[in-house]
Amino acid sequence: MPMSQPSPLQQRLSAYQDGETSEQDRNETEALLVNDPQARAHQDGLKRGCEFGRRIFEDLLKEPVPLELVRTIKNAPLPRRAVRLPQAPRASAAFRPTGPQALAACLIVAALSGAIGYMVGANPAGPAAASLTAAPDKRDWLDEVVASYKLYERQPKHVAEIGPDNKSDILEWLTTNTGVSFRIPDLSESGLSFAGARLVMAQSHPLGILLYKRADGDGDVVAITFTKTGADMGKPIEDIRSDTSLVSWSTALATYVVVGPSSAADLDDIAAKVAGVI
Amino acid sequence: MSQSTAISDIRRDLVALLPRLRRFALTLAASAGEADDLVREVCARAIQKSHHWKGEGRIESWLFSMMRTVCADARKKRKTDALAQAARGSAAVGETDKQTNPLFSMQEGLASAFLLGEVEGFSYKEASVILGISSEDFARRLCAARLQLAALGVETAERRA
Repeated sequence: MPMSQPSPLQQRLSAYQDGETSEQDRNETEALLVNDPQARAHQDGLKRGCEFGRRIFEDLLKEPVPLELVRTIKNAPLPRRAVRLPQAPRASAAFRPTGPQALAACLIVAALSGAIGYMVGANPAGPAAASLTAAPDKRDWLDEVVASYKLYERQPKHVAEIGPDNKSDILEWLTTNTGVSFRIPDLSESGLSFAGARLVMAQSHPLGILLYKRADGDGDVVAITFTKTGADMGKPIEDIRSDTSLVSWSTALATYVVVGPSSAADLDDIAAKVAGVI
Repeated sequence: MSQSTAISDIRRDLVALLPRLRRFALTLAASAGEADDLVREVCARAIQKSHHWKGEGRIESWLFSMMRTVCADARKKRKTDALAQAARGSAAVGETDKQTNPLFSMQEGLASAFLLGEVEGFSYKEASVILGISSEDFARRLCAARLQLAALGVETAERRA
């Protein structure tokens, strides 16, 4: 393909076509187009080039994007960012016993040691110490929260037990059953619309679930869960379990977990917003 | 797309913009495979540097500009590598791609100028910043691209006839 070196007239016409000329240039070019057939021919040529080029570029948009590329982007780890979430208040660690308290504690420890020694000596064939401690439950509270989320996020027609139109019912129902007073956060700025609520059990404790759907229509569900007597998690946790992202934090009154698909890059932001308003 | 969403979920934006990013990459790269590598690299960088994007202006500007830089760096690197081998490899791919995409037969720099100015609707000033050239050079390239595409259009029509 030979190089097309544009003439000054062609450049002028091209810039005129884009509205990138001064007023004086525009007036002069318009006059030229009226009086000069060569200028009109150049302009037609430029327009034909634009039409042909636009068709090529529009066709390029129809080409399928490699799926592997989409997957790589969706699963790419985000750089770590500090998100401030509330933490459960800790009991004061300062312990300064008085003299009589220290003496009483020593006497109690001595008496208990004697009693345990006597019992071990009197019954050497007692139950093995290992059997006294219960086997740890590998499936913890957060796993049950994630399991509930995964069950309901796949029910597009039955995501919630109570729909988004009955907010007062939801507030009364979940507050009564979980013992946690709360507000339904407006997450429209994060592209989420409220889809309703559910009440489930997680490790024998009632768990309130507020469900939100992505407004852009790709069907992602994000859930805010809360319980009064949930596991004491202390520091906020960000984790991914079974392709599900979660961010949890505790206050003096309740433990909260925001759950969403692992592709939800803004879950920490959503959690920070929820922590501020719920 | 709200600006807050654009800031907080760049991966979502990148997936939505993928066809357009790939299209711009095709104007810079020597082959479709190289264009995909370019998009992959730019998306990875954009995710890692997402805190640099403040939600002001068009995110495409930032991404296209980054893509042009990444492409230029990759070309410099390739030049320092085994030149003869690279030239043989890219020529073979280039010939195949030329047959399927007329963009690859355009003179370097013209297709990207046309895409930014005519298709993506950037002003001369914005587009010249993205391409790292002066506004005058951009205007010259855009005009040359239009003329070359007009000639390509005629060639294509003649071949079909």
